Amino acid sequence: MSVRRSAARVAVVQLPGVNCEAETVRALSRVGLDSEVFRWTRPAAELERFQAYVLPGGFSYQDRVRAGALAAKDPLIESLAEAAERGKPVLGICNGAQVLVEAGLVPGGGGVEIALARNRMPDRSGYYARWVYVRVEETRCVFTSALEPGTVLPLPVAHGEGRFTARDPARVPALVRAGQAPLRYATARGAPARDFPANPNGSEAAVAAVCNEAGNLLAMMPHPERAQDAGALSRSIVGEWGAGGGGGGPGLALFEGLKRHLEEA
Amino acid sequence: MARALKKTGRAAEVARAPRAKGAERTVRAAARFAQAWIEPVAEDPEAVSALAVARGRLGAGRGLLGLRRMRVFELSGALPGRAALEGLLHRSIQFYNPAKERCTLRLAPGEALPIPAGEIGVLVVERGGERRSAAERWWRHETGSAAEIREGVAWALELAPGARAEAVADLAILRGREHGLLCNPHWQDARVATGKVPLPWFADQAGARAGAVARGGTRSGSATRARRAGSKPGAKTRGTASGRRER
Repeated sequence: MSVRRSAARVAVVQLPGVNCEAETVRALSRVGLDSEVFRWTRPAAELERFQAYVLPGGFSYQDRVRAGALAAKDPLIESLAEAAERGKPVLGICNGAQVLVEAGLVPGGGGVEIALARNRMPDRSGYYARWVYVRVEETRCVFTSALEPGTVLPLPVAHGEGRFTARDPARVPALVRAGQAPLRYATARGAPARDFPANPNGSEAAVAAVCNEAGNLLAMMPHPERAQDAGALSRSIVGEWGAGGGGGGPGLALFEGLKRHLEEA
Repeated sequence: MARALKKTGRAAEVARAPRAKGAERTVRAAARFAQAWIEPVAEDPEAVSALAVARGRLGAGRGLLGLRRMRVFELSGALPGRAALEGLLHRSIQFYNPAKERCTLRLAPGEALPIPAGEIGVLVVERGGERRSAAERWWRHETGSAAEIREGVAWALELAPGARAEAVADLAILRGREHGLLCNPHWQDARVATGKVPLPWFADQAGARAGAVARGGTRSGSATRARRAGSKPGAKTRGTASGRRER
């Protein structure tokens, strides 16, 4: 099946230690978006010629100090912040999400307002990988714009620091109410995830992703690029995506949303 | 290989030997708290990266001459004497790898620290997540007694003479892309020690916490202490795990 190509071009920004750039490029290509890996050795000024940006997963700067902490200070991130300020879409996946949060770009109210803290799980600690379900919420996020609110997607998570939290316990619930939490961990039927492992990291209000107020910056912990093939989904998945088979997987919906937004812009 | 070595040889003997000595029982009753300061034997890439980013990207980073990182375990309970403690820490994989790291044990507030006079210690702990249950289980299995074990990261900051006391907060507490690095206050706490490091430090509620630090408060003038250390402003100084200085 041929996919209509978009004229827009996406930079998949790779900082040292990022390791999901190739599959991210492939997922973008599958929805008709041309992209290229933009490595840390290139001048930040060259980012200007791209229409959108993805910070893929991995371990930027070996997670030194904290996951995303050093990358958040990188000159490339400063350029992304300027581009996002002008309305260009930026997607941070897993480690990319940690970078956006540590940089204070999401939720974007000025400064660093939240954290992606170490996972809190009963009777275990550390890195945790699993297929989970997320439910799409009613928001202005451009990346979920191709999905109806209430849609349930199976996506994989794999991280040690993925718990959305804030010093003010009211902050994360307030983000949900403000429409800045486009994805929340859920059961297969779409009910809010209350416990581990449906909520795989103890994230407050079961939040799996946070966007800025304008909706063009999204920090999400699940990996949509790892769910781009329906045949690669876990056998544990039930519901609409449980039958397996070929073709595109649920993760492509996030990249479809980006393409739609770029075409409408 | 390192694991195998730890199970044999001198370390194991050190750990066993004091248990048979009567003198150790006196120490055992007195040692309520202990701190184990763990630092890499080789130059620490994490500290090197943090120093480079702080100096290059943070407003207060220009006054930072050196930065070192140590993991700190704090043990509390009915602890054995120094030799036995050292042996236990050495032979367990819960605390450190003696092939790559060294351990400085501290049983009293007056004992020496791996932080030289004049440098400022910043302890970063995960709020509500500093207990190490696996280490506590190992300890109970090995010693037959319970101990509470907490872990955090201590950073030793060497500031230029005349650096503002507020610089510590601006370097430590993350507020934005140009402010703070070592502690994200949304899930971590930072405690500063410009003079003697308390023992216990983790449970020391009187210690300067993140909030106090953010207001620019430190326990005793950091700039004064930095001057006492004789640092030169702007010198390209890098602290290493071994305490050497490269200029």
